[in-house]
Amino acid sequence: MYLDDSVYKVFKKVGHHLVSHGYNTSHSGNISIRSGGKIIIKRRSAMLGNLEPEDLVICDLKQEDSMSLIASTELGVHRAIYLETDAMAVIHAHNPFCVALSLIEDEITCIDAEGFAMYKKIPIIDVKIPAGAYYTSKEVPKILKNYPFVIVRSHGVFAKGMTLEDALQNVTGAEQSAYIRYLTLLTGKPLKRDFSKEKDFSLW
Amino acid sequence: MKGLNNKILEIDLSREEFKESLLIEEISEKYIGGRGIGVKLLSERLPSKLNPLDSKNLLIFTTGPFGGTNVPTNGRFSLVTKSPLTNGIFYSNSGGSFGIRMKRCGYDGILIQGTLREPGYIFIEDGKDPTIKEALKLWGKDTEQTLEELKKIEDKKINTLMIGPAGENLVRIASIMNDANRAFGRGGVGAVMGSKNLKAIVLKGGNNKFNIDNPKLLKKYVRVALDKIKIVPITRSSLPMFGTSALVNVINILGLFPINNFQKGYDERADLVSGEKINESLTQEKEGCFACPIRCGRLTKAGDMKGKGPEYESVWALGPNLGIFDLKTIAQANYLCNRYGLDTISSGGSISCGMELQEKGLLDEKSLKFGNVEILKQLVEKIAYKKGIGAQIGEGARLLANKYGDNECAAQVKGLELPAYDPRGAIGHALGYATSNRGGCHLTGYLASLEIFAAPKNIDRFTIAGKPDLLVLKQNQKAIEDSLVICTFAGWALGLDYYARFLKAITGIDFSVTDLTKIGERIYNLERLFNIREGFTQKDDTLPSRFLNEPFKEGPSKGHTVPLKTMLEQYYFVRGWNKEGIPKKKLIEKLGINFKI
Repeated sequence: MYLDDSVYKVFKKVGHHLVSHGYNTSHSGNISIRSGGKIIIKRRSAMLGNLEPEDLVICDLKQEDSMSLIASTELGVHRAIYLETDAMAVIHAHNPFCVALSLIEDEITCIDAEGFAMYKKIPIIDVKIPAGAYYTSKEVPKILKNYPFVIVRSHGVFAKGMTLEDALQNVTGAEQSAYIRYLTLLTGKPLKRDFSKEKDFSLW
Repeated sequence: MKGLNNKILEIDLSREEFKESLLIEEISEKYIGGRGIGVKLLSERLPSKLNPLDSKNLLIFTTGPFGGTNVPTNGRFSLVTKSPLTNGIFYSNSGGSFGIRMKRCGYDGILIQGTLREPGYIFIEDGKDPTIKEALKLWGKDTEQTLEELKKIEDKKINTLMIGPAGENLVRIASIMNDANRAFGRGGVGAVMGSKNLKAIVLKGGNNKFNIDNPKLLKKYVRVALDKIKIVPITRSSLPMFGTSALVNVINILGLFPINNFQKGYDERADLVSGEKINESLTQEKEGCFACPIRCGRLTKAGDMKGKGPEYESVWALGPNLGIFDLKTIAQANYLCNRYGLDTISSGGSISCGMELQEKGLLDEKSLKFGNVEILKQLVEKIAYKKGIGAQIGEGARLLANKYGDNECAAQVKGLELPAYDPRGAIGHALGYATSNRGGCHLTGYLASLEIFAAPKNIDRFTIAGKPDLLVLKQNQKAIEDSLVICTFAGWALGLDYYARFLKAITGIDFSVTDLTKIGERIYNLERLFNIREGFTQKDDTLPSRFLNEPFKEGPSKGHTVPLKTMLEQYYFVRGWNKEGIPKKKLIEKLGINFKI
């Protein structure tokens, strides 16, 4: 199993971006990639915005192993996503606007140009206990089979990608769409043009 | 399954018999169409260790559920056979309109076995019984002449598949031409058709309607997809403006543009053969396949010759790979390959092998020299007609290099000559060459999309981490794309999330992205099992040693080789294969494959 410098650099860059842009608090969130039949994931309680090489943990892809002692709390969700979908990288973040809208909507249709070009809509799911891996590992992969991300109501976003940077774009793209939607809702005024309805994005 | 006719036309040439067989729903749901159905049929029916030029070999042409709908770029279709160049399973893919007409004539596929006593062609007209017609007067003609004659005989509005003199002469790098200017290029499939005395297949008419579950929903999805194609730079401008040769300068500046049979990876003269220069000096008109908004094809003129292309791979294979940077010569050699029915990549790769053998003093053929513009067109003709040194070059690089005692001069994998990306410049792409079921092929996995073109995002082209996993995913995804069937270029803008929705609207079956990837995995593993039955082992999953041991001495990829052993071990593990590269029993059961090695 290889953990070369280029892997660490990408983890550091992505982790720093998530924290510095307000997607996660100092120690929350988790990021991982799959590689050579293993999962490389952030260590539990490591500061996501300031990862060191030893903050990357290598765990078995298919079953629980002893490295789960120090791996991220949500390792089980990451593992389930890898086993049930085509994800090559996974990010879990606490996007503020996605979380806020998840408390008042059942799905977020994208009304901004970037959002409807890339995503069309952002699914939202309810999970019995939103934090931790137990329930989310059962529900999140079902949605990620067909969508690049999903919001767990009141909790945060799980996004997949071909690479960690690809997953990051999905996390930040979801937040951008949620932010624009939130701002327009805040005005209380009707939209002059709603592409999401014109193109039936709720069917996506 | 909705979206298909659920019917295959089976033709026994030896008996001159035609039979329609039904495609069982369970099979189409497990293998979808195109490459998947072709691989399934070949693996069920072909006897083990059969000589690919034996009468019993099969040619299986198939379309898929996207064919003939309004899904963008659905004009492609598949061929599956056993290759005389690799002796393994061979899947190939071509554009144009033949596949659509086949489906509109009522068939999802045409399966051909046996051999005609005398040269002939198959004539299929919608609503009438198919027939076999004699082709004695067509035999010996090149593909353009053949198409012209067939149009005179049958109708102007026909679509055709045919071989040129190379296929008739059983040249191992012969292609099957599609309406004379598109090709099932690789793997020597033209020789298989030639061995059957089959000059052409002609389709006429075609108004057959097939059932689509929810046309309105499909229309909505397609509108969204067309918007996406319009805003992604590669599908909006690079490919439409410059064709596939847009790649020349990009690949060269990264130092993986093979020069002189992969002896260098960069050359300052590369721009002389770039997409920009082709537009300036050759392009007459842009052209595209059925239902394609991208239109990457080019109708061109070089001197007193006209034709289609050359595409990126052909520009390289017949140009810089041979030390030639003269576009007119390259284009004319490309036209000749099309007329004689020769694969341009394998022709170039075999000629360059001969040139390196000559350079090393192993082959006494003085004119066979890198940079010799004068000899190229004659060589193409000699290959097609098996004349002089051409007869040996036409056997492919592997046999040629072996004959003259230096296997390293053959840049090939499993007998298939490598295309225009030096493995040392993108190591995940290199792993794709080594593990492709059809041999040295860039399309089976195409990790270059991430390593070179950052689609969807860049990944370090020299790092190992994640590459085997990504390659497995991409190989599985490509297998399903080839089964739906959709052009690989649509994937620059769309992807399986779009395809799953199209398929759901067409069939009414709720396929998820993950379901499609799993079907791709099933197809890939069945191909692997077929090859293992034919005698392939882990020793075949390799690259010529120059790529493993000899770093470039200069250029942007300087100092790099391919760390294949490490990546291959991980690749087998990720695939669920044992250390010998054989799919484990548990995996075969999980995928529901019924095939005995």
